Amino acid sequence: MADENENEKMDNENQKPEKMFTLKKWNAVAMWSWDVECDTCAICRVQVMDACLRCQAESKKDSYGKQDCVVVWGECNHSFHYCCMSLWVKQNNRCPLCQQEWSIQRMGK
Amino acid sequence: MFQEKGQLKFEDKWVHMRPIVLKLLKQEPVSPAEWQELFYDVHLVCLWDEKGPGKLRDHLHEDIVQFIKQAQNRVLAQRQEEALLKAYIAEWRKFFTQCNYLPTPFRQLESSLQGKTTSAGTSMQSNNNKKGASDESIVRKLMLDSWNESIFSDIKHRLQESAMKLVHAERNGEAFDSQLVIGVRESYVNLCSNSEDRLEIYRENFEAAYIQSTEMFYRMKAPEHLANNGVLAYMRYADAKLREEEARAQRYLEAGSNGVIQCCVKVLVGNPLSVLLAECAALIKDGETERLQLMFRLLERVPEGVQPMLKELENHITQAGLADMIAAADIITQDSEKYVERLLELFRKFSKLVHDAFSDDPRFLTARDKAFKSVVNDTTVFRLELGTGRSIAGKVVTPESKCPELLANFCDMLLRRTPLSKRLTSEEIESRLRDVLLVLKYVSNKDVFMRYHKAHLTRRLILDASADSEKEEDMVEWLREVGMPADYVNKLARMFQDIKVSEDLNAQFRTSTERHDAINIKILNAGAWARGSERVTVSLPVELEDYIPEVEDFYKKKHSGRKLQWYHHMSNGTITFSTNSGKFDLDVTTFQMAVLFAWNQRTHDKITYENLRLATELPDGELRRTLWSLVAFPKLKRQLLLFCGIASAPKDFDEHTVFWVNQEFALIKNGKTQKRGKVNLVGRLQLSTERSQIEDNQSIVQLRILRTQEAIIKILKMRKRISNAALQTELVDILKNMFLPSKKMIKEQLEWLIENKYMRRDEDDINTFIYMA
Ligand SMILES: [Zn+2]
Ligand SMILES: [Zn+2]
Ligand SMILES: [Zn+2]
Repeated sequence: MADENENEKMDNENQKPEKMFTLKKWNAVAMWSWDVECDTCAICRVQVMDACLRCQAESKKDSYGKQDCVVVWGECNHSFHYCCMSLWVKQNNRCPLCQQEWSIQRMGK
Repeated sequence: MFQEKGQLKFEDKWVHMRPIVLKLLKQEPVSPAEWQELFYDVHLVCLWDEKGPGKLRDHLHEDIVQFIKQAQNRVLAQRQEEALLKAYIAEWRKFFTQCNYLPTPFRQLESSLQGKTTSAGTSMQSNNNKKGASDESIVRKLMLDSWNESIFSDIKHRLQESAMKLVHAERNGEAFDSQLVIGVRESYVNLCSNSEDRLEIYRENFEAAYIQSTEMFYRMKAPEHLANNGVLAYMRYADAKLREEEARAQRYLEAGSNGVIQCCVKVLVGNPLSVLLAECAALIKDGETERLQLMFRLLERVPEGVQPMLKELENHITQAGLADMIAAADIITQDSEKYVERLLELFRKFSKLVHDAFSDDPRFLTARDKAFKSVVNDTTVFRLELGTGRSIAGKVVTPESKCPELLANFCDMLLRRTPLSKRLTSEEIESRLRDVLLVLKYVSNKDVFMRYHKAHLTRRLILDASADSEKEEDMVEWLREVGMPADYVNKLARMFQDIKVSEDLNAQFRTSTERHDAINIKILNAGAWARGSERVTVSLPVELEDYIPEVEDFYKKKHSGRKLQWYHHMSNGTITFSTNSGKFDLDVTTFQMAVLFAWNQRTHDKITYENLRLATELPDGELRRTLWSLVAFPKLKRQLLLFCGIASAPKDFDEHTVFWVNQEFALIKNGKTQKRGKVNLVGRLQLSTERSQIEDNQSIVQLRILRTQEAIIKILKMRKRISNAALQTELVDILKNMFLPSKKMIKEQLEWLIENKYMRRDEDDINTFIYMA
């Protein structure tokens, strides 16, 4: 009851009598995903929205679901799990998709 | 002592020995001097007369046989059964006692006959060692064999007959001295000189006669009793008789003589088996636990006796369960709580039956579980059409039980803030969730449950509608415990994790600026929540539209490399509706908001369907559904919007249908109009569009195909070659926590894998598959 009286007071203060419907609360829902051209990491064959294979195996031991497995984009605009790519470049410093020399353009956060 | 060998003759000594031997046989007193003398004479005969030992044995034998003949005459003089047995047993016991004494002085003879010359010293030793030696004593064997050959062979039939007559009399309730039968049996056992098989004579004569007479007795009595008293009384009779015969066998037979009980079981249970079994179904139906216990006890004794009982139990539970479901179909198809309660009531009832009647015997528990599975997965009462009637990839999909969907709905009612969950205590909710898991155990297609449960959880988390967030997470762990696939459970856990991340973000957003007390944001990981789901476009009212760029700017500052997609079909809120007479808070979806806000500039206007479509830009289907929820919300007596024309479903609106706001809107409580109040118009929050729902159904089927292929390959990789039957069994085992693959689907996938060279059929045996790497 006290709540409603308070609401009423507030409504009276910002009176907009011409409005039949007024917004009280909006719960807006959005989904985020990595801004990538290809959904799948070409190195581990797992979707980039999921943790890479190595992280999935490890996260079973720790508290799962922790999204530390981010995405990395090369200058060539190809994208991979950062974990997967950092292992890849130790063997071969080229992008696995286009064979250009690998250099990081940006990291996901 | 120092006479030369050959000077002492057996004949000279035997004259002195014989009277003592005869005294011993007759159990007449023998003085210690005579006893000593006998020892010494035997020693001398064996030492000095080369032919002495043989002669001694022959003469001894003759006297023993002679003595036995006299005993036989004394026994056979008895005409009457009991007297005969008594006389025989008395003679036998006397003789058997002497079997232990008479051989002792002849120890030396034993050694001589075995070809050993022994000194007095060792003979003394063997005296001290009487007991061990007497076991192999030749004289003793001579005595027993003589008894066996003369008296026993002649009268054993009379003995047995007499003993069995007494047992027969006892079966008919007459009392007698059981020692007589026991005595006869003992003579059969002790008589045996075969050290390899001491029970040989007993078994071949006494036990065989005992079994034969027992069988004759019950072959007569059992059918008579059955005919005169009926099956139920007969079962009690048979049970009592079996126990009685077990006790009797313990008295009259040697331990380990099981033949007679096997024979009784055959006659008392095996022969009338079909008559007994014919009663089983009725007993189960009437819940006659005591009689079922009795029947189980009896039938368990015969091979293949329990199997038909198991079948009867399974049939009964299945039929009674289905009949119950069909009788209550009207209620349970509408109300998932009632459905689960009804099922559990059935489970409890039949579990109690199995417990009370069959002591939770594992075989009966298995039969019960099989029946529960049939009830739970039956499609007569309600069916779930996967693929919504459309054939998938040209294949018609078989209907499935709706049970998993109803279970998921019931879970939702318990975990969401609902009248039900408010009424129950935390413990009660937990016990009902455990009940759901119990039923889920019997569901073949758990993947359907998973899909609905995940959808419900998504709604609860997005609408902040969970009754108890701790219980939500408990439930995820319980699902893991009952063996739901790990990747599925992990996905649920990931949603909880993600919603917490999103709550933190919302708190940061709300503190970042003071203006935003009317907005909450949930920005979720698309991988965890909405993989591949389709979005619906809507033109937001300006009040909402204003927020969008600010949220996006905020998010860009927090994160990089991410793109945002608004899921307005999931978002929702509360609006205040002011009429001339009152003020109401409405919980609405964003689509409902978009429609209602169209009237803000033209409060009293009538707006056509077409113009609302232009204003909201909602797709046709969504707009129809949204309007329908505002003109015909089930819980409201006075609806929010009014329209002209007749429509009984959303599809009945046409582009000229006009809608206007009901200025007389009010909430009615207990028949009174309320000027204020709150109402929730969200209903079941839509998670996906109609089209993606069909895709969802298809994806279940596609996923099953994929899982089946994976499992087949996994098995073949391990086994290299495997028969069709073995493959099917292993396949069902691997997939059982997700779904029950149909024979047809397995066959199709096998064909596909063969066609695509993952495997091949054996050239010699088309029912064997071989893995191709
Ligand atoms: Zn990767
Ligand atoms: Zn990783
Ligand atoms: Zn590249």
